[in-house]
Amino acid sequence: MKWKKLGKIFDPTEHALPNRCMEFAQSPQALVLADRVRVYFSTRERDSVGKYLSHVAYADFSRDMGQLLGVSQHTVLPLGGLGCFDEHGIFPINVLRDGDRVLAYTTGWNRKVSVSVDAAIGLAISYDDGITFQKLGTGPILAASLNEPFLVGDAFVLRYGETYHMWYIYGTKWKRFSETEPPDRVYKIGHATSSDAVNWRRNGRQIIDDRLNADECQALPSVICLDGVYHMYFCYRQADGFRTDSNRGYRIGYAHSTDLENWVRDDSVAGIDVSAEGWDAQMQCYPHVFQCEGKVYLLYNGNEFGRHGFGLAVLMDQKSDVKE
Amino acid sequence: MFRWKKLGKVFDPKDLTESSWMHEFAQSPSVLLVDGAAVRVYFCSRPKPDTNGQYLSYISFVDLDRNNLRNILRVCERPVLELGTYGTFDEFGTYPVSVIRAGDEVRAYYAGWTRCESVPFNAAIGLAISRDGGNTFERLGDGPVLSYTPDEPFLLGSPRVRRFGCGWQLWYVAGKEWRMTDGKPEPVYKIRMAISDDGINWVKQGRDLIADKLGEHECQACPDVSYRNGRYHMFFSYRDIRNYKGREGGYRIGYASSLDMLNWQRNDDRVGISLSETGWDSEMVNYPHLFELAGATYMLYQGNGMGRAGFGLAVLESESAWERT
Repeated sequence: MKWKKLGKIFDPTEHALPNRCMEFAQSPQALVLADRVRVYFSTRERDSVGKYLSHVAYADFSRDMGQLLGVSQHTVLPLGGLGCFDEHGIFPINVLRDGDRVLAYTTGWNRKVSVSVDAAIGLAISYDDGITFQKLGTGPILAASLNEPFLVGDAFVLRYGETYHMWYIYGTKWKRFSETEPPDRVYKIGHATSSDAVNWRRNGRQIIDDRLNADECQALPSVICLDGVYHMYFCYRQADGFRTDSNRGYRIGYAHSTDLENWVRDDSVAGIDVSAEGWDAQMQCYPHVFQCEGKVYLLYNGNEFGRHGFGLAVLMDQKSDVKE
Repeated sequence: MFRWKKLGKVFDPKDLTESSWMHEFAQSPSVLLVDGAAVRVYFCSRPKPDTNGQYLSYISFVDLDRNNLRNILRVCERPVLELGTYGTFDEFGTYPVSVIRAGDEVRAYYAGWTRCESVPFNAAIGLAISRDGGNTFERLGDGPVLSYTPDEPFLLGSPRVRRFGCGWQLWYVAGKEWRMTDGKPEPVYKIRMAISDDGINWVKQGRDLIADKLGEHECQACPDVSYRNGRYHMFFSYRDIRNYKGREGGYRIGYASSLDMLNWQRNDDRVGISLSETGWDSEMVNYPHLFELAGATYMLYQGNGMGRAGFGLAVLESESAWERT
């Protein structure tokens, strides 16, 4: 795979944003419409105690991704009520066209006392091409379970035939790496299937091998089928020191599969890496692959987890070989 | 109508003369009939609170003399289950508990507690298993066995597990809303049910089972179900959302019956147990748990302060109470 970087295409500081949001345009994810590509992202406001709340917004682009048409100015999806799993943020949001509706799989965040946060996956549905969404209930559709005890999130859903497939992440531990810092989280990529998009059966195992070490954190899987092969882009990083040391920060990883069960990880085939300098030089994270007008695009975030916006790359040669 | 004769308080850790890890509270009694001379009663108790006054809750037990249930043979020397690790659902407490024998195992279903920022806490239901007859337990996984879903967004607690017929049944409580009440967030929760083939994978039945008596803000807990005389009988607890820490709005015991475990007719008038004039159960009677021994039906229940005053025992005066058509 070889990607041509088209640069940063959206900077949140250059636009008025809804919900008093100021910075961050994280985890861009596309909904391809007849006359535009709607790119959802999560942006942030500071609440009354100075902590962040993540809100969903979107930017509309022309179908050739060359022109920014506008930025949402309304509340696309409200945060959850008191005590709910998504009370303190929705980040990311994954959207899937499903007949006349658009399904949104959200990761809801809530603040805790010993650890800082927990997360679970919710479902919201739109009947107006993704302008607004209504939540299915006030609780999550995929939450902590016996062997996935916390931090369930980053859902990415596709439908193949009658089966919905979800790739997502789940926490495995909070581990203390230094005497002075609070424990850091470790999470891995899993897979679940569903016949109704609501009730999911987890297959109960980590599907992507670790590359760095057993504490590698894997996030935001994104899958696309090209020429009969399933390609997964995701991001991964060291479990500690990742905020300040760019060598420990997020990079984009890659795996491929022919059966949606067994994945072969081969980051060397990913075809994209950090730039020598600029907005994606320290970090690359939250990849999202999609197709429009015969082209394959990769949306992603750069430095500081997307504080300064998101960028785009286009696949150069779709016939490029998958190395065996 | 049921008529319960109170036999008095059975256990309060504050009454212990020897030193114990238990500082106060004896909550949610749950019986495991042990072979031999003893009836084991599991419950939840707490060491001294931390400097902020916050408690941790652990699962404990006492063995009672089956020939004299007010005679304590053994007091649990240490908690039977450690709390969950950092960041898990049961890091800050395990309460209430419901214990059941399954072949060579003893299983404990419990609510695990975690602490949150906007609301004080959340809970989900965990499962721990003992292979030494119930002296020590290990959790089946680090996460809960019953967790949050779209219509059960938080506060899954008060598990009571049963095995009627070939399946497993779990009656429990699900939070519906955190409601700002007198300036504080207070939860509203209702009794629900799940069923299972193996006691591990549960199918929620998705509805509130017990009609409210106090209004939609009524909180319901501890749905303890018995099968007698062709009918299912549920003794449970309910309270107001306000002033529930004392006599005025505190927990009482309610009653409902059912032919199919899912459709329940509430009739608190039949319950036949209420507050005492004075003493350890004069402000609250709650968290009932029924068991049979030597042809008699007993009810364990906790008293004032939601079990801060310990738990006690009552006996059903006449078994003919079950024979209502």
